[in-house]
Amino acid sequence: MHSQPGRSIRDGRRITGLILLGMLALAALAGPDLVNHDPARQSLLEAMQGPSSEHLLGTDHLGRDMAARLLSGARLSLFLACLSTITAALPGILLGITASWLGGWMDRILCAFADAVLALPGLLLVLMLAAISPGSWWALYMGISLTLWVEYFRYTRQRVRIVLADPAVEASQLLGLGPGTIVLRHLLPEIGPGLLTIAAFGAATAVTAVAALGFVSVGIRPPTAEWGSMMTELLPYWRESPFLIIQPVACLFITVLALHLSVGGGVQP
Amino acid sequence: MKAPGRVVISVQALCIHAGKDILLGPIEFHVREGGTLVIIGETGAGKSLAVQAILGTLHGSLLAEGQITVNGQRHDLLAPSTRANFWGKELATLPQEPWRALDPLMQSHRQVCETHRFVSCHSQHAAVVATNNAFGSLGLNGAEQHLPGTLSGGMAQRVAFAAATAGGAPILLADEPTKGLDTKRHATVVSLLSQVPDSGGALVVITHDISVARSLGGDVLILKDGCMIEQGPTHAVLDYPKTTYTKDLANAQPACWKPAKPCQSGDWVLKADSIRIKRGGRVLVDNFSLRLHAGERIAISGPSGGGKTTLLDTLAGLLRPANGEIQRAEHLSSTDIQKLYQDPPAAFPARVNLSCSLRDVARIHGVDSAQVACLLSRLGINSALLDRRPDEVSGGELQRISIARALTVRPRILLADEPTSRLDPITQRDTMKLLADIASDENIAILLVTHDIAMAKAWANRCIALSSPEEPLPPGGWGNRLDKAY
Repeated sequence: MHSQPGRSIRDGRRITGLILLGMLALAALAGPDLVNHDPARQSLLEAMQGPSSEHLLGTDHLGRDMAARLLSGARLSLFLACLSTITAALPGILLGITASWLGGWMDRILCAFADAVLALPGLLLVLMLAAISPGSWWALYMGISLTLWVEYFRYTRQRVRIVLADPAVEASQLLGLGPGTIVLRHLLPEIGPGLLTIAAFGAATAVTAVAALGFVSVGIRPPTAEWGSMMTELLPYWRESPFLIIQPVACLFITVLALHLSVGGGVQP
Repeated sequence: MKAPGRVVISVQALCIHAGKDILLGPIEFHVREGGTLVIIGETGAGKSLAVQAILGTLHGSLLAEGQITVNGQRHDLLAPSTRANFWGKELATLPQEPWRALDPLMQSHRQVCETHRFVSCHSQHAAVVATNNAFGSLGLNGAEQHLPGTLSGGMAQRVAFAAATAGGAPILLADEPTKGLDTKRHATVVSLLSQVPDSGGALVVITHDISVARSLGGDVLILKDGCMIEQGPTHAVLDYPKTTYTKDLANAQPACWKPAKPCQSGDWVLKADSIRIKRGGRVLVDNFSLRLHAGERIAISGPSGGGKTTLLDTLAGLLRPANGEIQRAEHLSSTDIQKLYQDPPAAFPARVNLSCSLRDVARIHGVDSAQVACLLSRLGINSALLDRRPDEVSGGELQRISIARALTVRPRILLADEPTSRLDPITQRDTMKLLADIASDENIAILLVTHDIAMAKAWANRCIALSSPEEPLPPGGWGNRLDKAY
C-alpha cells in the first residue's frame, strides 16, 4: 500500500509527458501544412501583427506566419533529436555490450576511446564541424551524436558486466543458448528502462543544443525556421511585442519538459 | 518453567487476501514474554506473510484482515508510517539471508553502531561501546572491519542479529534464520535466538527445519496452503502429531529416508585426477580425484565456505583447476553437463516469463512443446505457473521448473548445488526422490553438493566429504578431502 501514491504520481507525470510528446510529434509531422502558410514567405505589410484568424499566432518582423515557422522548427528539432538519439544509441549500446562481453583488450581500447571523446568538450566538436560546413544540419547532427554515444556506451558496459556475472546467464550458457538469446532475454530487459531514460535526456540535450547553436548563429542559418535562430531574430523586438519572443522559448521549454516527463521518475525497479 | 508473562503479540483471525484469493488464514496465536513461537510450513504456505503482517510490511497488493495486537496496542488499525516507528524499538526482524540484509559497502561494526546511534539514540561514544560489547558477546571479535561479503554465512548472521537487536526491541521476528547455513552452524543460530526469550523478550521464528524447531522449543504453529493445521507446545506436536501432514513433516527429515538403492554403474562420464582448486590465492580443494559413472549419484558434503560450489563449477568446466586434469567422456557434448542452482530465482532471467525461458531452451534443442509439457506434469508443475515471472512462484516450484529446464536438453550429468537447501522437508524429500528417479530412469549421473550429511548419506550411492583447510575435522572425521565411500 505504501508504494501506491508514489507510483500513481509517477504514472501521471509519465502520461502527461507522453501526451505532450505525441502532440508535438503530430504537429511536427503535419508541419506548416497544418496552418496553410509558407514559413518563409515574407509580407512586410503584415509585420508584427497580433494573433488573428488569418495568422493564429501572429506574424514576425518580416511578416512571416509565426505558427508556420514554429511548426517547421518543431519538425527540424524533433527530427534532429530522433536521428541523433538513434545514431548515438545504437553504436553506444553495441560497443558497450561488446566491451563487457569480450573484456580484456577490446574493453580497454573501447574505454580509452570513450574517455578521449569525453575529454573533448562536446560543443567544441560541434563548432569545429560547423566551421567545416557552415549552416548545414548534418554537421550539427554529427557533432551531437558523436558526443552523445559515450553515455550509452558507459551505461551499457557497466550494467551488462553486472548482468553477465549473474548465475542466470551462466545457466543459459550451459543450456546452450546463443549470445543473441542472452542479449534478448537477459541484457535488454535489464538495461532497457535505463537506456530509455538516457535516450529521453539525450533527445532533450539535442533539442537544446540545436536551439543554443541557432541562437549564437552557428547552427542552421536563416531563413530556415529554427527555434534558436528565431529567438535571435525576435530578441530585438521583445519590447514592442513580447508575445513573439515567448513563442519559440515556450516551444523549446515544452519539448524538453515533455521528454523529461515521459521517462517519469526514472527506472522502475 | 517460569511463570507465564504477559501476552506481547496477539494475533486473532488474521487473513491475508490477494484480490479474491485467500493466501493465509484465518490464523490465531499469542506469544508471551519469554515465549517462543515457531511457524513451520512448506514453501509458499504463507509463513513470511504472517510476519510481514505483524511488522506492517505487506506488499501493497495484499490485504490483511483481523486483529494484530502488539504490547496491548492494535497495530492493524495504525497507519503504515506510525507502524514504522516501532521497528527496531519494539519489533525487530532478522531477515532471510543476512548478507542480503546488510549493506554490502559498510563495515560490519559501523552497521551495528549505526543502529545503536540512530535507533536507540545513544551518543557516538556509547554506541561504539555498545557495539564492541555486542561483538564481544557474539564472538565477532576480529570481524569489525570486514564487509558483509567477506564474512562467512554464520558470521553474517551474527552481525545481522547484532544490528537487529541493537535497537533494544524485545520482540524478534526471524524469517528462516538457518537458511543456507550448514548443520553445524544451526546450533550457533539457535543459541543466538534463544537469548531473546531468555532475556524476557518474545521470539517468532519461521523455519522449515524441524530440528531447529525442536531445539528452540516453545510453541509451534504448522501451516499448510495458508491454513493452520496444528498448534501447541513444540515437543508435544512434533512427537505426537495428530494430522497426517505433521506426521509427514516429522518423517521427511533425511535421517528417516529409505537408503538409496545401489546403482549398476555404467561407463565413466567424468573423471577428475588429483585436481587442486585455488580462489583468490587460497587453496580450496587439493588432491581431489573423482570418477563419475553414468546413472550414479554422488554427494559431496562439507562445511559452508569449504569450496564445494567452486569444485562443482570446476567440474562443470566453468573454472580451470590450478593443477590436475578433468576429463569428460568423449561422447559428451557441451550441453551434456547441466547445473542446478542453490537459489532458483537467480538461475532464471528475472524479467522474462518462465514459459518464454523454457521455450527458448526447447527451440534450440529441437524439443517440441508436448515433451516439455509432459516433463512438467511429471514434475508436478501446473502449466498455469509458467505465465509468471521467476520471482512470482515459490522456491520449490521454481527448483522443479529448473530441473525440467535442465532435463529438456537431455543431459548426461547433472551438477546440483544445494538444490533443496531453501525448500521445506517434504518438498525437499519429494524433489530429491524425483532427482533419484530421473537418474535411474534416464541414466543420468548426478553430483550433489550439500551441507546436510544426513541427506548425503541417505540419498547418494557414494559420499565424498570435503574439509575446509581452516576448520578442524569434526569428530568422526570428514575424510581427508579425498574420494571416500561411506
